[in-house]
Parts: sequence; C-alpha cells; structure tokens
Amino acid sequence: MFLLVCVLLAFGATRSGGPQTQQDRIDLVTSHLACPTCSGESVFVSRASAAEAIRTEVARQVGAGIRTDDEIISYIEQRFGSQVLLVPRSTGLDSLVWSLPVAVLIIALSLLVSAFARWGRRTPIAPSTDDETLVKNALAETAQDSNES
Amino acid sequence: MLASAGITGTIGRALLLVGFIGAIFGAFAAITGVRNNEPRVIRLVSRFAVLAFAAAVGAFAVMEYAMITRDFSLAYVQKVGSWSTPALYNFAAVWSALEGSILMWVLILSGYTLAVCFWMRKRLNESLAAWAMAVMMIVLAFFFLVSFFPANPFALGAPGVLDGPGPNPLLQNHILVMFHPPILYLGYVGVTVPFAFAIAALVTGRVGEGWLIATRRWSLFAWGFLTFGIALGSWWSYEVLGWSGVWAWDPVENASLLPWITGTAYIHSVLVQERRGMLRVWNISLLVATFSLTILGTFLTRSGVLNSVHAFSESGIGTWFLSFFAVVLVVSVFLIGWRGDKLRSPGIIDSPLSREAAFLANNVLFAVFAFVVLLGTVFPLIIEALQNRQIAVGAPFFDRLTVPIGIALLTLMSIAPVLPWRKASAETLQTRLFWPMWSGIAALVASLALGAYGLAPLLTFTLGGVSGGAALRQVILATRRQGLRGLVGRANGGMIVHLGVILIAVALGASNSYSKSQELSLVAGVPATFAGHSFELTDVIEVRDDRSVSVKARVIVDGVKTYEPAITKYTRIGMNVGTPSVKVSLTSDIYLTLEPPVRQDSNTARIKVFIKPMITWLWIGTLLMAIGTFLAAFPGRRRRPTEATSAEVLVVEKIQN
Amino acid sequence: MSSKYLVKIVSSVVALVLVSLLWVLIISKPNNDRVSRSTLLGQSAPSIVTATIDDQPFDLQRRKGSWVVLNFFNSTCVPCVNEHHLLVDFAKREATIDNGAELYTVVNDDSDDAVRNFFLKNGGDWAKLKDENGAIAVAFGVARVPETWVIDPNGLVRLRVTGELSEGLLEAQLDKLREEFTS
Repeated sequence: MFLLVCVLLAFGATRSGGPQTQQDRIDLVTSHLACPTCSGESVFVSRASAAEAIRTEVARQVGAGIRTDDEIISYIEQRFGSQVLLVPRSTGLDSLVWSLPVAVLIIALSLLVSAFARWGRRTPIAPSTDDETLVKNALAETAQDSNES
Repeated sequence: MLASAGITGTIGRALLLVGFIGAIFGAFAAITGVRNNEPRVIRLVSRFAVLAFAAAVGAFAVMEYAMITRDFSLAYVQKVGSWSTPALYNFAAVWSALEGSILMWVLILSGYTLAVCFWMRKRLNESLAAWAMAVMMIVLAFFFLVSFFPANPFALGAPGVLDGPGPNPLLQNHILVMFHPPILYLGYVGVTVPFAFAIAALVTGRVGEGWLIATRRWSLFAWGFLTFGIALGSWWSYEVLGWSGVWAWDPVENASLLPWITGTAYIHSVLVQERRGMLRVWNISLLVATFSLTILGTFLTRSGVLNSVHAFSESGIGTWFLSFFAVVLVVSVFLIGWRGDKLRSPGIIDSPLSREAAFLANNVLFAVFAFVVLLGTVFPLIIEALQNRQIAVGAPFFDRLTVPIGIALLTLMSIAPVLPWRKASAETLQTRLFWPMWSGIAALVASLALGAYGLAPLLTFTLGGVSGGAALRQVILATRRQGLRGLVGRANGGMIVHLGVILIAVALGASNSYSKSQELSLVAGVPATFAGHSFELTDVIEVRDDRSVSVKARVIVDGVKTYEPAITKYTRIGMNVGTPSVKVSLTSDIYLTLEPPVRQDSNTARIKVFIKPMITWLWIGTLLMAIGTFLAAFPGRRRRPTEATSAEVLVVEKIQN
Repeated sequence: MSSKYLVKIVSSVVALVLVSLLWVLIISKPNNDRVSRSTLLGQSAPSIVTATIDDQPFDLQRRKGSWVVLNFFNSTCVPCVNEHHLLVDFAKREATIDNGAELYTVVNDDSDDAVRNFFLKNGGDWAKLKDENGAIAVAFGVARVPETWVIDPNGLVRLRVTGELSEGLLEAQLDKLREEFTS
C-alpha cells in the first residue's frame, strides 16, 4: 500500500499544471519583491503607490519578454537596493533567518529523543503473577455479570 | 460651545482615572487580603471589579457618544470621524485607530475581570483565586494607564474643526469591520485569564492540576474566539484588499497568529498534564508565552518599530508596551525559576507510540512554528539595529518553512486520534488506521484525477484524507456508543475542530498552488474567455455619494450574473481604493479587480481575473472549527473508571488465554 | 545534571537571551546621514520623457549642458512640505549664479491640482513633471519622498539625498560638485 502511495505521489509531483499565463509570471515575480514602503509585504500583495509603480514596471518588462524572472528582480534590486529582496540572502548575517529554525528543530527533536531514551531505560514494572491472577478473576467476574444481565 | 468642548473629554478621562483607581485598589485589596487572611478586605475585590467595569463601559460609551454626535472638539474624532461616514462605519470608527482600540481592550479586559470575579465569587478567599484576581487587576490597571496617558482618546483637538476625514477607507467598505476586531480581541484579551491563574499558581505554590482544570473553559473560550477572529480577518482581507489572497504574512497578521500557535500547543499539552501530571513547567511557560506575545504583538504593530527600528523611541506608546513586555517576562521567568523544584513531576511517558508522545511531538512542532513566525517578523528589526540596513522577510520565507511544518502536523493529526494513552502496539495502530489509510489513498487518487500536481499539495491532500478518516472514525465510534452525546466533550468536539483544520489545510494547499490569473482588456459587448469562463463587459458606471466617487465596471461572468469590480476615490481623504468583486462557488471563486486608468462612460475596461480554487472551503472549515470548539466546551458523558475509553486492546485476549 | 537546577538554569538562559535582544533594540543608533548611495551614481541618468503639469513637454536628454536637480515631491508628505522653503531659496540662488542648476519637481503619487495649489500657496515657479504610473520613481529607485537628485551637465547622476533637506546642504554639495567638475 505504501509503495502505491509513493508511486502515485511521484507521478503527481512531476506533473505540470498547464501553461503559465503572462499574469501568472508577473504575479510570481512580484511575489518575490518586497514593497519598499511597507514592512515585509510583497509587491504582489501591497496596495501602496510604490508597489503599484513597481508592478507596472514588472508588467512592462514581462510583456517585453526580454528579461528572465531573475533578471527583472535584479533590475529592481539595482534601483531600490537590497530592501526589495523578499527572500533573505543565504550568506552573511541574513542566513541566520534560515539556519536558526533548522537548528531549533534539530535541538528540539534531539531533546525529545533523549527524553524518550531516558524514560525507556527505566526498568519496566512488570505485573507479578499475583496481580495477573487478580485481573483474570476480576475480568471473569465482570464477564459473568454481563452474561447474567 | 466652548463649555461643551471640555466636558466630554473631561468626563471620559475622569472615568478612565476612576477605572484605574478601581483596578489598582482591587489588586491591592486582593493581595493584602489574602496575605493577611482578611475576608473583609477580599470582599472589596468584587466591588472594585464592578467599579472598574462600570468605568470602562462609561468611558467607551462617552467615546461612542462623541463619535455619533460628531463632537469634533476631541482630537480622536477629528482623526477618524466624519459627517459623511455612514452610521454603522462611524460606530466602528471608534476602534479604527490606536486610542480607540486600546479603549476597547480596556473594556473587554474589565469585562473578563468582572466575569472571573463573579465565577470565583464563592472562593475568592482561596489564595489561588485571590492572586489570579490580583494579576488581572494589575494588567487592567496597566491598560487603564496606557489609555490615560500615551493613548488618550479624549485629548482635545485643534479648535474650530467642523468635519473630519473619517476612518481609513479600507475600514469603511465592508461590514466585517464591525465583527473582526471585537471578536479577535475577545480571544486576544481572553488569554489574560489562564495567564493570571498560571501566575497565581506559581506565586501560591499550588502548581498541581487544580488551576488548570478550573480554567479549562476560559482557555478554550479565548482560543476559540482568537481562531474565529483570525479567520474573519483573512476573510476581510480577501474581500477588501484586492490581491486575491487570504494571508500575507505581514506583521499585523503574524502578531495575531503567534499567540494562537502557542495557545494551540497549550490546549493539547494540557491534556498530558491532566492525565499524567507532567509538563507543568512547559504548560506554564506556554501560557506566559501566549500572554507575552499578545503584548509583544501590540508593541510591534503600534510602535512604528517595523517601519524603522528607530521610530519606536519617538512615539510614546512603544516604550510603554516594550517595558510591560519586559516586566511580564522577567517576573514570569523569575517565578518559574523560583518554583522550579515544585514543578518537577516524577511522571514519565512510557512509549513513543502513545497519545502523550504524540502531544509532545505536536508541541515541538508548534514551538518551531512559533519560532519561525517570530524570527521572520523581528529579523528585519535585529538586522537594522545591528547593521543599520533595511532588509525584508516576507511570504516566500514563511511559506518555505511553514509548509513542511504543516505537513508534519497533518501527519500527527492522522496518527494521534487513533493512538491510545500510555502504550500502543504496532498491530493496534495498523488495525485502527485501516480505514483512514484507505481514505487517504482515495483522496490522493481523487485529487490526481481532478488534475492536481506538485508534491506539497498532493501530500496535503493525502494526509488530509488520512487525518480526516482518523477524526471521522473517532466521531463515528463515539456516536455509535453514546448517540448524540458522542458529539460533545473535549475529545469529540476536538475531532470536529480537526476536521475543520483539515478542510482549511486542503483548501490552502489547493488555492496557494493552483490559482491562475490573467489580465483582460474588455470591450463592451465583446466577451472574452479565460480558464473556461466567459467575461463580458456591459458598461462602466459611476456612483457618487457624499464620501466617495466610485467607478464600477459591470461584467457578466459566464453569461449569468453581473459583477462589479470598482475603483473608489474617497473624496475627503483623496485616497483611491480598489474593491474586488467575487463570484463565490464551492469549487473555485472567480475574483475580479478593476485596473486603472478607467473612465466612466467608457466602453473599455481592463480587469484582472483570478481563479481561486476551494476558497469557500476555508470558511466552511472555520465554521466547523467554531462548532467543534463550542461542542468541546460541553461536558462529555462521564466515564466509569473501568470502562474502556477506546476500542478493545489485544492485551485482554492475552490475559484470558 | 541535577534536575532541581535544570529549570533555574533554563529560565536564566531564556531571560538572558531576551534581555540581550531588548538591549540590542534599545541602544541602536539611527543613521542620520542624508546623502545616500545608489547604483546609479556615476552612471548615465535614466531617460525621462514626460510632460509638465501644464502639459509642456520635457526631455531630460535636452537638458544636457546644465546641472539638473530633481526633487521627488508629494503635497501631503510632511518632510516635503517642511523643506519646500529651502528649495524656493535654492532656486532663487541658482538663478543668480553662473552655470546655475535647473530645478524640477517630479510629482510622486499626487494629483496635478493638489501640486498646483500647493505651489500657488507656497511659491516656487519651476516646472513640475508628471510621473505616469510612477515610472520615473521606479527608474531612480525612489520609494519614499522627499528625495533630491543632482545630474551633471554630461547627464551623469552625481548626488542622491534621501529625506528632508537640511539648511544649506544642497548648496554646499552642489558647489563641491561644480568645483570637481570644472577641475
């Protein structure tokens, strides 16, 4: 059953969803640019005037069809500075925003695993034969009661 | 007129002072009363709670009165009031800016304080209740103080002003503005109650399970309203803002989400503490975190610090909230450290394959989730403070990190409902997961058949099927055993909430991955097609009223109904606002916006069409979550101690043989 | 590790991290330097072909040979309003000297009428340029107003000032640039 799921997932994961419209491409590029007068909103989302102006420019360049998505983003970054990059870089101090969550996850999971290991090492309390007889008798009684009622 | 100019403001401010005095004296009475064991002093606490509540109601009423009568002697009415704002939006204008929303916070918090006081009225002499009241009164006093000094809504405005601009245009074109802020605040402010009891437990040393169980419904109530408030905010964002999405990961949204994340972790891990007495430190820390995050969130969004780190020291309000945040944290951390030894419990979790372990894993994931959202929101601040340059952390960062966490949570949601407490064998798991697994495969096949693609959405749909099956299995088993009472109680109500969450997860997966958009230049009478739908422009009209001029494009979608995306210019403020028009359906919404430039009486219009799959399921899931929370608050049927809580376990057969 | 002290240790570490974060926030100093960097400095200025709010044509290319000062402006932005009188004085001064700079206002997200009324009330008779869809602002990378840019007679961008002008700043910077240019 598990194999079936994997095969289906692999099939679906590599399928594509049809052609990308020009507007889809504009939306994709503007989703990766930060509106320079907002706090972290993308140009795609923001209704601010600076964002509208950048959207118009991106639409113009996508329509012209000369530059790739990355080149358009670089073009805007050159004009406005790195404050318009919505995805922090993976170098320098900025990369901490990517590495810290991973580090926290690893630390938390290892704490969890070590806690379970510590708990597992405790000698398990096994029921004694007296206990088991007690339980058996009690269960038999209950079964008898429910049969009678 | 000069006489009345002072009166409203003076009365309002005086009421705030009365409220502050009531809160401070209430705290004082509670603390001294319980320390010196004087029931007479403690009786005063309820009087002060009533006084503070009456003062808050009075101050809010005065503010509304000033807004409704357009009393422009007050600076706040000059800021957000206007003769041309319709009555309903004018009423809501009170909470459309900082001072008024702090006033609403004061009102709701004083209401909660009075409610808790009433609920505990027969037990106020107990130290736990008295200290909890003291904490609530201290927090209430802080907010009265904020409303009296930096966020004063009753300050006098410039003389001779006869009309104002009204509230932000985005806050006066949709009815949700009446509901979203108050409902959100009922949740946001409501987390103060379990927090107060947690602090009281630490102070009195009564750190067992008593306070937890007592405050169970308060926590659920606050969490439920927080959930609903956040969902309403997304719906408002979708209907009003015009970018066709529901969540932008912007700081205001994150500020409301952070306490929700820690709150959700709490309502799960609290079950472990109730049954096994473990995780005491963790649960108290979660409550401290939830409450502190509400204060931190208010600091981040109201102080201007996110526009520039240096903005906050310029305005007063930021320093107040930052200091309060620091005090809350330092005091709480100190109390936890002080009571450390009392909080340790000897319990252990027997097996990684048990419901307790699943809740632990759940908490780890939610903790990482909260860390990611908090880090992303404050990281630009830290970089700007350290290196004096501006960076942006936006949706791509949050999406990339939270999608895996969401998928991991869905996996947990598939397994945890079928896991018994204490210990499970692999066979038990296999038996119980039989139907859920098959519903997962069915979901996968169905989505592939409908044309789904992409690993993350497909995983979401598959796991949605499995976890939906697990939740349904629990509900069906419970109703079979107990009839309609099988739908109430924490476990069963919780499963219905899970079903709502699954719907939301699946809907988000679909709409985030499969939305399509296109810009269409329409000529009147000539239909255009996109994504299998037809769009025909009939005409462009202009609608005027005394606060705005609206240019609307009338578009017939699929030859059936007319939709009118518009661009509205609010004449008093000079701001242009685009209003989308949405064709709602169960499969996908068709979202239309009008693009400038546009002229009335023109026969052409540029519109943007967004096809958004499954958006309606977000709201259906929210409704399910609300219903489930309500059902969870009802007491379930009391179990007899010897009755099995879950399906037969193979161990029974082993002993009988 | 003694479990009795574990909670105390962890809570102290947590407190330390939080206090240091708050400390970082509080002691940071703002950068008040108005003269800013841009990748356009030293490059040819982006082309500007537009009309003034009185519908006269304008082409930046044809201003080559003179110093050009562009001021991005919005009549509702407080620092723009505050610095306006400095620009009026600047324009008067430049009119009297040899090789004086030409001052142009670029309208940023504002209506022509609002700009016209503002200038009528507060003085300033230089040309105000329309910015269709904010294209000029995007070409220069101007997000917030006010910003002031200086372009030399060869059409190269020489100076960028972000935020409100301080008294004498523009004159001093321009004199320095003119000296460097002729030497």
